[in-house]
Amino acid sequence: MPDEIRRWSEELARDPASMVFVPLGDALRRRGQLDPALKVATRGLERHPYDADAHDLLARIHADRGDMERAMDEWGAALRVAPHHAGALKGMGFACFQNGRAAEAERYLVAAVGADPGDPTIDAALSRLRAPQSGTNGASTDVGATSHTPTDAPTDAPIDAPTASASAFAGGTADARDVFSDLLGDGEQTALLLDAHGYVLAGAYVVADGRDVAQDVGGALSGVSDEAHRAMRHLGLGEWSSIVFETEVASVAMAPVAQDEEIAIALVAAARTVPLGLVRRLLRRVTERGASWLAGGAGQAGAGR
Amino acid sequence: MPAYSEMLDGFTRQRGVQGGLVVSERDGIVVDSQVQLGVRASVVAALAASIYRKARLSAEAAGLGGVAYVELAATEGRLCMVGRGDLVVVLITDNRSSVGLLRGALLQVAETLA
Repeated sequence: MPDEIRRWSEELARDPASMVFVPLGDALRRRGQLDPALKVATRGLERHPYDADAHDLLARIHADRGDMERAMDEWGAALRVAPHHAGALKGMGFACFQNGRAAEAERYLVAAVGADPGDPTIDAALSRLRAPQSGTNGASTDVGATSHTPTDAPTDAPIDAPTASASAFAGGTADARDVFSDLLGDGEQTALLLDAHGYVLAGAYVVADGRDVAQDVGGALSGVSDEAHRAMRHLGLGEWSSIVFETEVASVAMAPVAQDEEIAIALVAAARTVPLGLVRRLLRRVTERGASWLAGGAGQAGAGR
Repeated sequence: MPAYSEMLDGFTRQRGVQGGLVVSERDGIVVDSQVQLGVRASVVAALAASIYRKARLSAEAAGLGGVAYVELAATEGRLCMVGRGDLVVVLITDNRSSVGLLRGALLQVAETLA
C-alpha cells in the first residue's frame, strides 16, 4: 500500500488533472490519514466537480471524520451526477441507518443492490435491516443502561464493508452473537469481537432497553488499534497489548486479536463493581476464544469452543 | 511558566515516567508538554487525543457515562490518560512506573483541569 500511495502521489504531481486522486485519497483514508486524504479529494473535486467517484470519496472521508451531514451532502451530489452510483447509494443507506431512518435506508440499499448485485455486504445489510429486532441473547448485559436514540450513534464508522465482516451494519449470525455467552455467565458483563474497521464480528452489546449497540460501540472504536500501534511504535514501547478505560459505571478492556493480516479487537465491558483483575482475566479468555473462532472459520458458530 | 508545567513537572519526576502532555481532545494539539528528546510531542498528542476521544465516544454509545481514565498498555510501557472538558493529560511511562499511584494522581489532577 505505501508503494501504491507513493506511485499515485508521483503520478498526481506529474499530472494534477489525473483521476488517480480517487484511489490515492481512498488509500490515505483507509490508512487513517484523513487530513491528507481530505486535501487530495478536495483538490481533485475542484478539477472534477462532476465526477461521482470523487464525491463518493469525499463523502467517505467526511464519514470517517464523523461528519455525517457533509458525507450525506457529498453522496447526494454523487447521486445527482450518477443516480445509480453503488457506493453513494450504499453510503446513503448506511447514513440513514445510522440516523434511525430505516425506511430510507432500505430504499437506498435496495437501489444499491440493483446497481451492484454482486456486493454481498449490501445483501447482508438489507437482511440485518429487515430482521426483527431481537432482545437479549445470553451474551447481553444491562451494563450501561441507556435511553439514547439511534441518532446518538457515533458517526465515524467506516463506510467500506470489510471482507471479514458478515454484515455492513452489524455482525454476523445469531450464532456469532453467541460466541462468548458461556464465558460471560450471568454477570453484568459483555464481550465483542470487532474487526480492524470497527465492524462487529461476534458478540453482542445489548443495553437495558433491549437494543444491541454493538455496532455503535464498534463504530466509535474504528481505527483505535492502528492508532495504538502507531503511538507505541513512535514511542518505542513495543506492541500494544491492551486498552482499558474506566467510566462512571463500567470498566472496558480491549486487546488485539490477530486476524489474517489485520488486527481484530476483543472487547469486554463489566460493571465497575467487577474487580479490574477479573475484567482482565475475562478479556484474556475472550481474546483466546475470539482468535480460536476466527481461526476456525468465522461464522461457523462455536468453532472455537 | 505555562499553566500546566508545574503539574507535568511533578509527574515527570516520578520513576518510570518518560514524559507528560496536556492536549486538546478535539484537535489533538499540544497545550503543554515535557517529553524526552526525540519524542515528537505533536505525534503522540494527536494519537493519544484520538484514542481518548474514541474511548469517550464508545462509552457514550454504550451509555456508560463519562470516561474517567484510559490506559494503553504495550510490552515496554504505557500511556495513561485522564480528561476533563476538552483537555487530556497524557503520561508516557515505561515498565518501571507505579501505575496504580500514577492513576490515582492523574484522577486527582483531572478534578482541577480547567
